[in-house]
Amino acid sequence: MKRILLILWMVFSGWASFAQKQMPPEGGTPKDFMLPEKKEVTLKNGLRSSLVQYGALPKVNVSLLIKTGNVHEAANEVWLADLVVDMMKQGTTTMDFETISKKIAGMGGNINISAGMDQVTISGSVLSEFAPDLIKVISDIAINPAFPEKDIDRLKADMKRRLSVQKSVPQSVAREKFFDAIYKDHPYGRIYPTEAMVESYNLAMVKEFYEKNFGAKRSVIYVVGKFDETAVAKSISESFDKWKEGPEIIYPPAVAKQSNDISIIDRPNAPQSTIIIGLPTLDPSKPDYQALLITNSLLGGSFGSRITSNIREDKGYTYSPYSSVQVRKNTAVWFESADVTSEHTGASLQEISKEIKKLATEPPSKKELEGIQRYEAGVFVLQNSTPGGIIDQLNFLDQNGLSDDYLSNKVRNIYAVTPEKVSQLTKDYFDYEKMTLVVVGDKKLLDKQIKAHTDTKKIK
Amino acid sequence: MSVILAVLIAACSGKKGEEKSSSAFTVPVEYYKLKNGLKVALSQDKTAPTVAVAVYYNIGFRIEPKDRTGFAHLFEHMMFQGSENLGKMEFIKLVQQNGGIMNGSTRFDFTNYFEVMPAHKFETALWAEGDRMKGLAINQDNLTNQQGVVKNEVKVNVLNQPYGGFPWLDMPQYANENWYNAHNFYGDLADLDSAKLADVNSFFKTYYAPNNAALAIVGDFEVEDARKWIEQYFGNIPSQTLPPKPDISEPRQEKEKRFTKEDKLATKPAIAIAYKMPERNSAEYYAMGLIDQIMLQGQDSKLNLLLVQKKGYTDNVSGGINYLGNMYNYQGPMIWMVDLIYDASVPADSIIAQFDRSVAGLDTISQADIDLAVVKIRSSLYDNMGQFFGIGRADLLACFALFDDDPSRINSLEGEFKKITPEVIQKTVKEYLRSTNRTILISEPKSIAQ
Repeated sequence: MKRILLILWMVFSGWASFAQKQMPPEGGTPKDFMLPEKKEVTLKNGLRSSLVQYGALPKVNVSLLIKTGNVHEAANEVWLADLVVDMMKQGTTTMDFETISKKIAGMGGNINISAGMDQVTISGSVLSEFAPDLIKVISDIAINPAFPEKDIDRLKADMKRRLSVQKSVPQSVAREKFFDAIYKDHPYGRIYPTEAMVESYNLAMVKEFYEKNFGAKRSVIYVVGKFDETAVAKSISESFDKWKEGPEIIYPPAVAKQSNDISIIDRPNAPQSTIIIGLPTLDPSKPDYQALLITNSLLGGSFGSRITSNIREDKGYTYSPYSSVQVRKNTAVWFESADVTSEHTGASLQEISKEIKKLATEPPSKKELEGIQRYEAGVFVLQNSTPGGIIDQLNFLDQNGLSDDYLSNKVRNIYAVTPEKVSQLTKDYFDYEKMTLVVVGDKKLLDKQIKAHTDTKKIK
Repeated sequence: MSVILAVLIAACSGKKGEEKSSSAFTVPVEYYKLKNGLKVALSQDKTAPTVAVAVYYNIGFRIEPKDRTGFAHLFEHMMFQGSENLGKMEFIKLVQQNGGIMNGSTRFDFTNYFEVMPAHKFETALWAEGDRMKGLAINQDNLTNQQGVVKNEVKVNVLNQPYGGFPWLDMPQYANENWYNAHNFYGDLADLDSAKLADVNSFFKTYYAPNNAALAIVGDFEVEDARKWIEQYFGNIPSQTLPPKPDISEPRQEKEKRFTKEDKLATKPAIAIAYKMPERNSAEYYAMGLIDQIMLQGQDSKLNLLLVQKKGYTDNVSGGINYLGNMYNYQGPMIWMVDLIYDASVPADSIIAQFDRSVAGLDTISQADIDLAVVKIRSSLYDNMGQFFGIGRADLLACFALFDDDPSRINSLEGEFKKITPEVIQKTVKEYLRSTNRTILISEPKSIAQ
């Protein structure tokens, strides 16, 4: 019996290999996708709010985004903004850390406070009925921080430990060098402080940073999920209307610099090289930004992209290559990152450069481009299908001074990109010869490989 | 341990279901089996025009072949290399070019494959999953290529990282006695290299059968369509005789174990403390879920207040049940673990002493403490259900189908936690948080950059 089955199976599979392959079913017609509606209000002091009812799970996300962060640090103040928010987390003039923590836990949630490059975020996610209470706690943390002196030494020690750990991670080391090269003397180029810098921070500096940079005019609160709208609106106005207006929104202008610097940072005996290669690119205010994103997705930004197909799925040099566009205020950078087997570092760079040069000289087929366009249109729907995702989208519009049209026209703009446009943009904005390259890896294995790479660069 | 580096960040997603007052939510679940044994769980949700399709095979890294560590995960990669009707890269392109995302992952007791598609491409995804459940069509080049990729995955996540496998990959190897629970799940590089095409084929034949799998669908679809297409694309895949399950049980631990491991890439020491869990779905198991909330989860947790806020030993205590998932998606011996990074100036014994103080405090746990823990659990369950565009919910449904033959358990979990009394907590602490039931692993920095 077994033998018969086996023979039948072989006959079947033999036959199958000659037969025409089955085509996948096309599927139906696309369903309408509508961006969820939002309600916006501005308080007298300038604080803005944006409320979106979304979904059915009985939870709500609240995010207060304040337009300050590492971007407002001086050269000798790196991570001071992080220390400010760590101190804010310790409590308010009426509630200490433990009181806040127990209160939030009773709402089935958490509160996160973090300093990013351009924004400070105070956010939480709780069971729906507690939305107004969460807003009160968030406002109290933003408006009435206690800045308890007893906590600062502990938080500085934590910060030094975190710094030491992060600097032992090869990807962090590469990022620090890369952004230093791109943004030189701007805060965007300063990723890590020195230990001495952290040591120099004190309570007065924390308070001064807070006074100079926090206030209603710089803040937007987003509430997305399931919640009682009237109660939430009331809680926002009651909790925030006494906040000082504070400073205007000011971002020190940054210019991303192009430089074809090559930096090799030694990591003795590393089994892989951590590569970052890239250059300044178009920011979201530019008309070709959407076409640039499509170009990125086709080149290295999606799993089916050319660079990933090549160095991962064909050569097996790496597991996690990806390219992306990092947006900061009025500036942006494109880069490809990959951790590749040490002995294939030079070969990986060759393949990346080949793919870029090929796309710059030969437009992609209509079919390949259409595949990417459909992928990006699908991802756009997903990006707007979660409360957290919706907050990200709305904040992106706000940070980049874009109108709602940016989102409502997005799918149309994705499909408007032509193969010629992709090739032209690659030529104009992905010039391999002008890219900054950082490699963190085993120097004794790298020097020869990188030299071969630079020689080909010179020859062109 | 997944085929693709996750690019989209999972966020809490809102989903539509039955409307009820104040914070109650029931997940719609329809459950049935095909004639060939494939378990199917459907959960409609029309919040967004997308559908999550998840296929779970009842084979995890725990029971991979003994001379082939890391094979279950390597095999997961092979499932993307080609089937009868979809050649190399074609599966991936089919999903992406239809506007979807996908991934696969290998865990203790299952390997999963999933897509999130625009709703109108639901049938396309079912066809593609059915196609690769029928059989693979791969060659030596594909295998060699993915051996390269997987070795690079191990390098980027473990070998070239400080705290690379600490403690998620390391601790099971120190805490457990039975090989099935105690081997290197990512795989020794030499074992990964020695995998043959014949191993791939026999692994597929042994474990990738419809009667060893569950299919979970969550999202914007019609039940009638789903039933029709699932029958059409999976119904004629023959079932297989499954091998007997090996004995994966762990003996009761009677002695505390302590180990130290060197980390050449780290600059700071780290410590992990792990306890063997009670049997899944027992009263003590649910009690451990609550203890996890009380001790470890959220900023109000005992360990956060003591070790971070009061003592300043670390800025973060992390941990939980099942580092590669959650307390629901496994079936077998498991550990509850806590880990943190600290300064070399603090002796590990001081941390352990404070930790023990926290455990001792569980003796006076009140009903009010339990009630608070239940609120936290309920909220985190909703987060699970909303995670990753429906995949979080599909994960629970598929695991409860595979392991318990009952995906509707998703709606009764909260009730199980509510049954736990302070007495059950104390009983659980006494038997499971015994110091003789734990393993302590310290990672010592040996970095030259120190």
